[in-house]
Amino acid sequence: MSLIKIENICAGYGEDNIIENISFDINAGEMVGILGANGSGKSTLEKAVCNVLTHDGNVTIDGLVIEELKVPRVANIISYIPQRSGIGIDISVLDVVMMGFNPKLGFLENPDQTMKKQALDVIERLGLADKSDSNFMQLSEGQKQLVIIARALVSDAKLLVMDEPESALDFSIRYKIMKILREWISCGSRSGLIILHDIMLALNNCDRLILLKDKNIIETVDLHNDSIENMETKLRMIYGDISLVKTTSKKGIDSYSMIYDSEGV
Amino acid sequence: MRRSTSSSTAKNNIYLVIGVIILITLFCCSLFVGKFPLSLSKILEGDELQTNIFWTLRFSRTLVGLLGGFSLGIAGFVYQTIFRNPLASPDIIGVSSGASAGAAFGILFFSGTVSVTLSSFGGALISVILAILFSRLDRSDRKSTIILAGIAVHSLAQTFLMILKTMADPEKELASIEYWIMGSLNGVNSHAISINLILCLVCLAVLFMMHRQTLLLSQDEAEARLLGVNVSKMRFVILIISTLVVSSVVSLTGLISFVGLLAPHISRRLTGDNTKKTMFFTGITGGIILLLADMLARSVAQTELPVSIFTSLIGAPFLVFLIFRRRDKI
Repeated sequence: MSLIKIENICAGYGEDNIIENISFDINAGEMVGILGANGSGKSTLEKAVCNVLTHDGNVTIDGLVIEELKVPRVANIISYIPQRSGIGIDISVLDVVMMGFNPKLGFLENPDQTMKKQALDVIERLGLADKSDSNFMQLSEGQKQLVIIARALVSDAKLLVMDEPESALDFSIRYKIMKILREWISCGSRSGLIILHDIMLALNNCDRLILLKDKNIIETVDLHNDSIENMETKLRMIYGDISLVKTTSKKGIDSYSMIYDSEGV
Repeated sequence: MRRSTSSSTAKNNIYLVIGVIILITLFCCSLFVGKFPLSLSKILEGDELQTNIFWTLRFSRTLVGLLGGFSLGIAGFVYQTIFRNPLASPDIIGVSSGASAGAAFGILFFSGTVSVTLSSFGGALISVILAILFSRLDRSDRKSTIILAGIAVHSLAQTFLMILKTMADPEKELASIEYWIMGSLNGVNSHAISINLILCLVCLAVLFMMHRQTLLLSQDEAEARLLGVNVSKMRFVILIISTLVVSSVVSLTGLISFVGLLAPHISRRLTGDNTKKTMFFTGITGGIILLLADMLARSVAQTELPVSIFTSLIGAPFLVFLIFRRRDKI
């Protein structure tokens, strides 16, 4: 069932549109990846979907038109993980995570003990149990990103929008986090829209990939139903001379790898 | 894991208790520092002159010193958080200069404490709005923009002040205006402070209640917005309230430099966080700085010196230190 409908989105900075007439749906429990070259409008599309960038077109989530909702209501429906958090003050990890409850709180209300326990559980799940009282500013970039992911998870929104959330994470943590995000999306009938720095991660964790080029969606890759040849043809429209191979790990887990075919590289 | 929480909480509680003890001690000492010697025994015996001076001048002055320092510290804490810049403080972004120019305008064209306070608030508010508007001219989102805008606003306020001084009667209003510019607790008396103190206390209480909202504004606009914060409205409301706090103090004391810059840095340096307790500790630190500076202003020379001389003696080198040490965040 389609949970999110994105219709005719046009957005940009100044007078020029970076993306034009973008339309697609996201189903409940589905993780959709956005791929494209630098400057193709991936982040612009996400900002428009989150309604933090002025745009034409509509985003409908569970029947609610996002553009017509007030800021706190949007934050109850959409949760956002930026590439890097802009937090610039000394603040504890627990307090950062508890910011995720803000859309549910009244103007002068503070998070209660249940919320605090919930925040501590998510922090522990992301492997930061010993850091809950640490100063956020003194963490490594990877740890900071995990805290921001924890903050998004406690918000319990319907749509999780992520802008290269893995770019600061180590190789092994990337896969662990993607697994947690996937589980979180599937178990609560939520949806995810994600820009990934690592193409391999996108190929192995998303359900569908939207390919952006020349202000538009040029193709959509269905990672469950498209043949490997078909996927390869579509991805070549963005990445050029590449090959897609399916490999199986020693534990029998299938995954896709992308290899660049051009000589001299 | 929990050990670190309890140890940091215990450490911060100790700082807070020590701060409160120092503040109370300075408050008591300040009551008895000045050209006219006061004696506790004579006050207790009911000596009319001593009692009168104690309640009308010394107590009011000391109370304004405490609350003024507390308020400027809290305002600095709020400005630094919502502008995401360690240099942001009422005097650096031009709010104090605007409040002084407003107070001078009030002295020239109105009469009475309420009018001067309102005029001072008007000047402070115009300054903060101008600083925000100027900073928005630069779309690069650099954190230094608000400071540069503040310098421009400060210059404008100074120009306006100079114009007002040329219009003032040299024997009456000019002296009062000069008093605002120099900053002193000398003219504070019990008749003048009640409205300002009530206004200041109410605004401080609201700022403490909005602590969580203030922290939410310490991140990128899109990030804060997707946490449910109506960034423009919330920033405006918090700025109005903190500006009201600054102007209610400045309209009584004149321009007092650097307390709003120093106090948040000292308290954060000690506690290592930005919790509500640290915000309160910032107020305590501001109170300590201003009471100490005022006691020095009253006692180091034959005539009373402007209090800003002493706050600037610590504040100016600290500002230079901040510019070099934390230039990446400015």
